[in-house]
Amino acid sequence: MKLQSFAIAAATGLFMAATNSAFAFDLGIIAFQMSAETHARCANAAEAAAREKGWTATVLNSNGALPTHAQQIQDLVQKKVNGIILCMSKPVQFDAQLAAARKAGIPVISVMSGGSSQTLFDIEDNEYAAGAMSALYLFGKIGYEGAILTERFDGNVGTRIRGKVLDVVLSENTGVTVAGSHSMAKTASWQDDVRKGMQALILQNAGNFKGVWASFDGQAFIIDDLLRDQGLKKGDVTLVSTDGGPEAFRRIKDPDSMLTATVAIPFEAMGKAAVDDMERIAVKGASKESIVSGPYLYMPAELVDASNVDRFLK
Amino acid sequence: MKPFLARYGTALMGVAICVLLAVFAQNFATPANLVNVLKQSSFLMLLAIGFTFALITSELDLSFASICSLAAVVTGALLYHHYPFVLAILVGLGIGAAGGMLNGCLVTVVKVPSLIATLGMASIAGGTAFMLTGGVAFVGRWDPYFLFLAKGSVLGVPVLVIVTVVAFALSVLVTERMRLGIHMRATGEAPESARRAGVAIRRMKFLGLTLSGLAAGLVAVLLVANLSSASPDMAGDFLLEAIAATLLGMTMFTPGRANVAGSAAGALIITVLGNGLVLLGAAYYLQSIVLGLIIIGSVSVSASVMKKAAFSM
Repeated sequence: MKLQSFAIAAATGLFMAATNSAFAFDLGIIAFQMSAETHARCANAAEAAAREKGWTATVLNSNGALPTHAQQIQDLVQKKVNGIILCMSKPVQFDAQLAAARKAGIPVISVMSGGSSQTLFDIEDNEYAAGAMSALYLFGKIGYEGAILTERFDGNVGTRIRGKVLDVVLSENTGVTVAGSHSMAKTASWQDDVRKGMQALILQNAGNFKGVWASFDGQAFIIDDLLRDQGLKKGDVTLVSTDGGPEAFRRIKDPDSMLTATVAIPFEAMGKAAVDDMERIAVKGASKESIVSGPYLYMPAELVDASNVDRFLK
Repeated sequence: MKPFLARYGTALMGVAICVLLAVFAQNFATPANLVNVLKQSSFLMLLAIGFTFALITSELDLSFASICSLAAVVTGALLYHHYPFVLAILVGLGIGAAGGMLNGCLVTVVKVPSLIATLGMASIAGGTAFMLTGGVAFVGRWDPYFLFLAKGSVLGVPVLVIVTVVAFALSVLVTERMRLGIHMRATGEAPESARRAGVAIRRMKFLGLTLSGLAAGLVAVLLVANLSSASPDMAGDFLLEAIAATLLGMTMFTPGRANVAGSAAGALIITVLGNGLVLLGAAYYLQSIVLGLIIIGSVSVSASVMKKAAFSM
């Protein structure tokens, strides 16, 4: 029974430590999968912006699970938070939960999630444009001729769109062919999945490809290491990806890295913008239309390569 | 006093947690939130009850979450392509049961240890779910009658809660009152004696794993109704939570032994804690830490009171 007494005492301590007794604005932030760097960057930036304003921020992680995400939205509605920010959510699938938030008068702003009639708006970069940028950059670097390898991920809407846009660009530029393609299936141990899949493709097509297209930077980092293991040097093969972030910028600058370019999506700025816009609407009483008329507030992504990476490394 | 605390200590701890949350967590004790918690706990409770059936016969089922995801994807696909919702429900339940039966065959006929068989099945079911969808979720405006399963209520009581209570009552009846339950328990606790007494050991193990799969199928159908969608990783998060709920359940009512009432109470405690931590504004990583503490704590308590456990850790 000592164990049970200890458990009760520990639980009490946890509750006391976790309790926030006084707050001005209570913001709920849910990241769909905190283990994904992009989700974490968005949620952490939103949390930091909220705390800067003196708000209370409850940050939740859905672990990439739909039922957990639904539960967490429901819990925040029950908590009667003053606003909710969703990072990389799937609002179409949580229509009922978001309708409950709307009914309870809780404004919801989503980031990189897609539009919904139940949310105020979605802050995003236009994945179609980002996909076109990375594909056209790669094709331009290889002179619109030759073979490429692709690493895809169809389980995420953003990376899937980038892949579909790549297919459109391929269909218009028949001088470029796909020598081999691997599609990442796992979300939990995806690094291993990418490593195994691309290792096989690189070995099978050694010397016969001029470029590699990756659907997001995490994949590109693994491919970069694999290409270097094969003795390739920067410029031998063009490796492009999408997302941005300190590690991607560092590799683009690094003369030993194969990563040539990325499309930098401003996840931190999006998280901060969501909080700023939440303040304007929920605290200062501005109308949603005064910020954006449609379902999307676009924050453009920018292509980063050796020519402009210094600006991002600052 | 000591036997009383050994049997009901964890349940009392659950009550104490609820009291603490009612005091410290704003809005915890509101009727709306209590209904919310009951609805949320339904999925975990049903999966934990299913897992308990396998555990009672001394077999582990590590595939129920993946089978649940697969059943959800197929149910969602049928609804998405406008097949009758009754057919979708039956197919969802059928896939769950079939997955469990396959596990049962592997364990009882092929003699593969359940840990290995169900781990393999988890991989197969998860891979198949991804193969069928290409990673994309089926999202749709399902039939209102189908949605009623998760979103409707009868006389103010959510249908989800009614389904769970009925499944719980039937499970308690089977495991505690019927000869079948006694045979299943005997299979897990004293297989040699049970065999000599004429209990069909292999049949009981097969049944335990099948019921675990059936529960996964039921949860799949309810999840698809609740989320109006079906994705290939629908139930992944439930694996650890359902096991934790069952282990927590082994610390109460019949300490050291898997039991349906304990598993259901364990699921409720875990859901209450999750809800409470959100209401308290606790950091997201605390939920994982608390879940880990529950698993370690409950296994420690179970091991300390275990005499003839159905499942030795």
